[in-house]
Amino acid sequence: MVEEFNILLAGVGGQGVILMSELLGKAAIADGLQVRGSEILGMAVRGGSVTSIIRIGDDVHGPLIPQGKCDVLIGLEPSEALRDVSYLSKSGLVILNTTPIVPFTVSLGQGVYPALEQILEKLNDVASKVITLDATQTARDAGSMLAVNIVMLGALFGVELLPIRIATVKETIEARFPAKTAAANVKAFDLGYQACQQAVK
Amino acid sequence: MKELTISSNAPGQRLFVLGNEAIARGAIEAGVQVVAAYPGTPSSEILGTLAGVARELDMYVEWSTNEKTAFEVALGASICGVRAMAAMKHVGVNVAHDPLMTASHIGARGGLVLVSADDPWAWSSQNEQDSRYIALQGYIPVLEPSSVQEAKDMMADAFRLSEEFGQLFMLRSVTRISHGRGDIVLGDISRERRKGSFEKDPDRLAYVPRVARINKPLMLQRFERIKKAVDTLSYNQLHMADRARLGIIACGLSYSYTLEAVKWLGVEDRVSILKIGTPHPLPEELIIRLLKSVEEVLVVEELDPFVELHVKAIVGEHNIAVEVHGKDVVPRIGELSTRKVTEAMATLIKCRPPVDFAALDRLEQEAVSLLPSRPPALCPGCSHRASFRAITTAAQRVAREYGDDVEPIYPGDIGCYTLALNPPQHAVDTCICMGGGFGLANGMAHVVEAPIIAHLGDSTFFHSGIPPLINAVYNKANITMVVLDNSATAMTGFQPHPGTGCTATGDEAVALKAEDVARACGVKFVEVVDPFDLKAATETIEKAIRFPGPAVVVSRGPCATIELREKRQAGEKVAPYYIDQDKCHPGCDACIKLLGCPAILKQADRTVIDAPLCTGCGLCAQVCPYKAITQE
Ligand SMILES: Cc1ncc(C[n+]2csc(CCOP(=O)(O)OP(=O)(O)O)c2C)c(N)n1
Ligand code: SF4
Ligand code: SF4
Repeated sequence: MVEEFNILLAGVGGQGVILMSELLGKAAIADGLQVRGSEILGMAVRGGSVTSIIRIGDDVHGPLIPQGKCDVLIGLEPSEALRDVSYLSKSGLVILNTTPIVPFTVSLGQGVYPALEQILEKLNDVASKVITLDATQTARDAGSMLAVNIVMLGALFGVELLPIRIATVKETIEARFPAKTAAANVKAFDLGYQACQQAVK
Repeated sequence: MKELTISSNAPGQRLFVLGNEAIARGAIEAGVQVVAAYPGTPSSEILGTLAGVARELDMYVEWSTNEKTAFEVALGASICGVRAMAAMKHVGVNVAHDPLMTASHIGARGGLVLVSADDPWAWSSQNEQDSRYIALQGYIPVLEPSSVQEAKDMMADAFRLSEEFGQLFMLRSVTRISHGRGDIVLGDISRERRKGSFEKDPDRLAYVPRVARINKPLMLQRFERIKKAVDTLSYNQLHMADRARLGIIACGLSYSYTLEAVKWLGVEDRVSILKIGTPHPLPEELIIRLLKSVEEVLVVEELDPFVELHVKAIVGEHNIAVEVHGKDVVPRIGELSTRKVTEAMATLIKCRPPVDFAALDRLEQEAVSLLPSRPPALCPGCSHRASFRAITTAAQRVAREYGDDVEPIYPGDIGCYTLALNPPQHAVDTCICMGGGFGLANGMAHVVEAPIIAHLGDSTFFHSGIPPLINAVYNKANITMVVLDNSATAMTGFQPHPGTGCTATGDEAVALKAEDVARACGVKFVEVVDPFDLKAATETIEKAIRFPGPAVVVSRGPCATIELREKRQAGEKVAPYYIDQDKCHPGCDACIKLLGCPAILKQADRTVIDAPLCTGCGLCAQVCPYKAITQE
């Protein structure tokens, strides 16, 4: 029995954060787990920040992760992960895509995008561990620029903390994509998984 | 094995769904036959889901022109004896308010349910009003789910209740239910399909004053019956703890936060909890039992103290010695959360919260202070960006002639184009409600000396833009009205509308044209422009502003998101623009400053176009003074 496992996904509109949480939720249910979550759509999709929440377990009731209770924070974009750092629990883990997406406000001269080192330092202050990978490049290697979310899903399974079987999530991925792109997505998943395992070593 | 979908008749199976899909599923299980809605976040996916299975399940599903009409469509069907529903966001209920207040006098023949999706924290709304007050005013019973599963169960049950009591019911959802996700256990799908029939009954259906007087007492009687019944409905549940000093009354989704908070604080055996699923009417007997068993009670509910006020009235009426807390410790603004309920309880129990929330807040502030903001923006290639470039250029030219310090006034509206509130457009001076921009412009025209250019989108035009347009003609308001026509209700998820030539279920429809409507309404200056022909569009808009009397310009260009999607599906390539660095003058930044296209970036001291983001709209090439931007 799983009591409570909280995953927060942070990214930018267009990165497929919502699809990623859908796949996670479906896979969890297929493995007999109870899932709750929520997301903010609407205004956020026009290139704004997007966060999605997946909570697994029998003690979970609400759709939101209480601050201080997030087990894994997945950042599809570095600055977006930092925005949600206060949700991490003391034993919480960060999995981070290191490729930034600089918001257009920076071009307009409103604000500066911090150096990656600075973001990592702040995350490391709070998290028990920060695992980094260049998911954007990895997605390209897998043959699909759009598969950053699937690479990160693979990385999430790479930490081997989730109560979901890898076979189940792969089946969920295969069922979700048309035959043409399913293979590239499974590859993206595998590469993400491996990248994470290497980073952990 | 066939994959489960929202329309599978597979009782007992589990499905992972969005809250709005759960609501749609509940309606499917109840055998709903007529569904009408106008889009609005966070309600839109309810009808979107049902439209996708309408044919298969033999339902009639439509996007209506606005919420008032949507509700009337449902009411008309209910009068004819079939199960019907209307779905809308909270502010949509305001638009439907007029028929609602009389509809509750009629009594439902076919089960009739209104879904209101409230938006605490106004994530995507102009305000965060509490629609339970509208239900209160109309004697409309309200069901408020605590989870995605319960949203489905309540929706299915609402039709049965509506028929049992002969009354219109409201399901009140909130953003975290509608856009929450969870696993639901499917129920049986009713395959009953009734044939509608109209029975003439003017004493029940034709509201002249005499009929209002006949039906109000009948409505009150129905409401009394419902009031007696809610104490035993399973949506209201009292869990008594033996040693409880504190009782919690938790309404709707707040119940889930309460359960988590009680566990987090480790006080399960010290608080009694009353879960409320019917905030209106309230289960008074259960409330009285709880109130009499504790010294203090905390009412937990999102937004206004709706339940709290009623609980206080009960305390007074029955003279119960108990202290009632609510909005003194639970915020009235925004969404609740496990944390907020935990903090409120910790204050009352006088114990320490499980974590140092203040420290976490400081951490968050520190983190956010390091980061540039990432607000939503008009997409690259959005036709609204082109329209606003034309509108503001033309308006500035004319304003200068009014006087040095005269600025054009832009009464705006609600849609993607509201994002032009931000720099560099700064072309939304007001945004109140749908259709409100044209309306305000009418008032301003009679009291200020300045060019007034009101604008709204095509979906908004058909929703509520036409009456204020007619008003401008009738009352001779000297204003320019621009219809930003992108052939979609883009903001809420690209739904079709009366101008798109397509219905909710994908059938062909008459495509109404805003310019034809404007001409038919008596507007003497009506022109259509292509905003990507910036020079011509600017000239026409300038003429419109100079025209004495109301003028209409329809600025017609596609929604870039839809266009890109279609191109991708057709396998067409997008040819991006690029900046010739030899011709670009560093520091000029005209393209960035005038357009704010997210595809144009500053990299060190160079200005470049991010090719994967560029849609090839060509707008930047038209504003570059050095002709440095070209297509490859
Ligand atoms: C009464 C009411 N109903 C619904 C909404 C939700 N809503 C926000 S913008 C919008 C319409 C957007 O369509 P359009 O005017 O065509 O502009 P676009 O987003 O396509 O640019 C809707 C329905 C609302 N704010 N108020
Ligand atoms: S979704 Fe369409 S209308 Fe809305 S900002 Fe993007 S391109 Fe413009
Ligand atoms: S052509 Fe210019 S304005 Fe249009 S999307 Fe590309 S960069 Fe943006």
